Amino acid sequence: MTAAPRLDISEVSKSFPGVRALDAVSVRIEAGEIHALLGENGAGKSTLGKIIAGVYRADGGAVKLDGTELVDIDERDAGKLGIAIVHQEGSLVGQLSVAENVFAGRQPTRWPGRIDRGLMNRQAADLIARLGVAIDPRRRVADLSPAEAQVVEIAKCLSLDLRVLILDEPTAALTLTETERLFEIVRALAKEGVTVVYVSHRLAEIFALCHRVTVLKDGQHVGTRDVAGTTTADLIRMMVGRDVALDRAKSGHATGEIVLQAEHISATPLVRDMGLTVHAGEIVCLAGLIGAGRTEFCEALFGARRKESGSIRMAGKPLDPREPSDGMQAGIGMVPEDRKQSGLFLDMSVRDNITVTVARSLTNGMLKSDAKAGAVARRFIDEMKIATPSDKQIVGNLSGGNQQKVLIAKWLAMAPRLLIVDEPTRGVDVGARAEIYRLLRSLAARGVALIVVSSDLPEVLTLADRVVVMADGRLAGELPGESATEEDILALATKATTSVVIVDAPQTRSHL
Amino acid sequence: MTIGMTTTQDRGGQKKVGPAMRLLRLLANSRELTLGILVLSLVVVMSIAFPLNFPTAANIRAVLLNLAPVGIMVCGMMLLMIAGTFDLSCGSTLALSGVAAGVVVGWWGWPPQMGVVAGITVGALCGMVNGLIVTGIGINALIATLGTLAIFRGMTYVLAGTGVTPISDAFARYGQATDPIFGIQSLFWVMLIVALVIGFLISQTPFFRQYYFIGGNARAAKLSGIRVNRMLMLGFTLMGILSGLAGVLYAARLNSAVVNAGVGIELKVITATVLGGASLKGGEGRILGGILGVLFIALVENAMIINRVGVFWQGIVIGLVLLFAVSLDRFKNNQRG
Repeated sequence: MTAAPRLDISEVSKSFPGVRALDAVSVRIEAGEIHALLGENGAGKSTLGKIIAGVYRADGGAVKLDGTELVDIDERDAGKLGIAIVHQEGSLVGQLSVAENVFAGRQPTRWPGRIDRGLMNRQAADLIARLGVAIDPRRRVADLSPAEAQVVEIAKCLSLDLRVLILDEPTAALTLTETERLFEIVRALAKEGVTVVYVSHRLAEIFALCHRVTVLKDGQHVGTRDVAGTTTADLIRMMVGRDVALDRAKSGHATGEIVLQAEHISATPLVRDMGLTVHAGEIVCLAGLIGAGRTEFCEALFGARRKESGSIRMAGKPLDPREPSDGMQAGIGMVPEDRKQSGLFLDMSVRDNITVTVARSLTNGMLKSDAKAGAVARRFIDEMKIATPSDKQIVGNLSGGNQQKVLIAKWLAMAPRLLIVDEPTRGVDVGARAEIYRLLRSLAARGVALIVVSSDLPEVLTLADRVVVMADGRLAGELPGESATEEDILALATKATTSVVIVDAPQTRSHL
Repeated sequence: MTIGMTTTQDRGGQKKVGPAMRLLRLLANSRELTLGILVLSLVVVMSIAFPLNFPTAANIRAVLLNLAPVGIMVCGMMLLMIAGTFDLSCGSTLALSGVAAGVVVGWWGWPPQMGVVAGITVGALCGMVNGLIVTGIGINALIATLGTLAIFRGMTYVLAGTGVTPISDAFARYGQATDPIFGIQSLFWVMLIVALVIGFLISQTPFFRQYYFIGGNARAAKLSGIRVNRMLMLGFTLMGILSGLAGVLYAARLNSAVVNAGVGIELKVITATVLGGASLKGGEGRILGGILGVLFIALVENAMIINRVGVFWQGIVIGLVLLFAVSLDRFKNNQRG
């Protein structure tokens, strides 16, 4: 008889009202293994992670840890057994110090119950140092970069005697270099014998990091593979249930007249003397590190941020936008990066969300016209294949991919001449991602000028007719879409004045 | 959205519920229906319990007359709360406007029409000051209007000392004229017209419907091309104008500009608005609900008077009604997850 695996998940099922989130899923994971849980949004991967960590209870089946069945455990019990989870949403309290977060609720105390801050800070520093990083434990968490906060989350788990670490989409907020450092930490933990369950839908990360991968689809276990023996295409087929083509743009197609001409745009501290020209029918991808000023530059074009100097011409006419409505009047639309905070009205209907940009023209005389608004909304629901029971559905009830489509539809409704899309596929699964790419390309084919801001290099290479790289608020270089490589882009993004980047934009300086 | 609900909602969003839950949810989600039922039951119960005192023309008239100033202000407050903000200073604005009208007509001898104009203008200015502080300086509405609540009330005292009594008989006619059919004073009809006009604007015109987007997500609204600050400025100004109108009519009704008119009325106005379906987060509410809320509170007060419940109990009951309304709000949000 062989030794029991670290985690033995057998026939685990879980239902939420109306949904079967997991259906008799079985996986065995060994000590020291980095095991990926892969699937589209709603596939059940996060649910499985949460069952292992005691956040949810399974309706059926069993989870064994080193041969012992876990019965009726909650998150605290799981912690005592050495199982810890780093949540997608984060669990840190911004106003408190790093050390207090690491020891949340378990701070070392001194008689008669007073927190021993010296000891706590020393212990926290030790834990963080184990991750090969230096963060002052007295700093406020709110002042940390996303990458540093991620380290603190993991250090919080290390303060337990760790056997299983579950990471739920840990790289969502991280830059490429920060992701690399996170991977090193995870590999080091695995070497110490910790089992890592890595929940993600990013294929590249799974190939870079994990030993084995389990694919879930609609709560069902599709298969478990050795990462070394599989391919991206295999995994996508398993996740989506069909082939999804993510071809590279056939660039070099004729582009039309100049739509946008921006010169010497400054909006300190993040944008300094940046210029850009975009033609009708062209997709320009803005690449660069986080903090390079890409979003801020686009906001200055749109009117969401006041530019201090420089000139903008839209279709030949000078534009000086003070508010987004000014940019819109000139024919600019902007799909923001953060769809929940800045993009959607989550409590409102699909129809209201799609027609908000044009609501004041969908009228009978001075009154609103439900018929006209409904017609516009349904046209986009059809065209963009938005999965919703009706145009009256509340947007907050849709999946991430469909929310993203609603967000884009909202801007298509105003028929922009220039559409700026900031991170078009953040939090969107592979299937919907391919559809969004196709959509953006068909827009360009219809003569819309597009600026796509993206930190996802494969995405940049898939979409771009032209890649424009920004660093430190300036133009760092330009590459033709058909021949650019990830290495070229990274070289341009990082070559610039690295030291200046560190001084001016603390979020790019990571200890990861 | 809670973490636990996300998976559920990603996959269809429907949940199995029993009939009791469904009824509770229907009531929580259609505030107008809930309130309508409450108002009706109260009327029926009171008519049976006090057949001599409650269902009389004089009593109904008194109830409708008393609720009118609150009803006028609720229309403005509903607009603001849909946009996710509110105005605590409306009671002080009411007093300052009434006193302004009293001063120009009673002391300076201007014609009564000018008193109306002066009062409403002062109300509009008060509203603009609130709007400027909130949108221009960026102080949140709670603090900003708490400050102006004290300032406008102080200005009322400085301007008129103990008030202006009497103002003038011609001016008093604005608040005391009764219609020949129902015999209800003009105050109520003004409220009805205000409610109809604002209710129509909010529900039917895209321009005013922008307030729902602002309350739903102010940042997204701005990035969708809605001029949020301009709309809020307009909302506060409208609130000021309506408070001014209420103040002028109130002064006309009494033929006296009282300096402590409307003390604490903001509590009633906000209670009625929340009771009527406004959410504290913004993005929800309709004028009909607000008016039903006012009606409900007025009936509760009337019932207490007829029952000879001491006047000190009224605060307790109104406070409880407010908490009840907000609990409904919580329940609704929980249901949405």
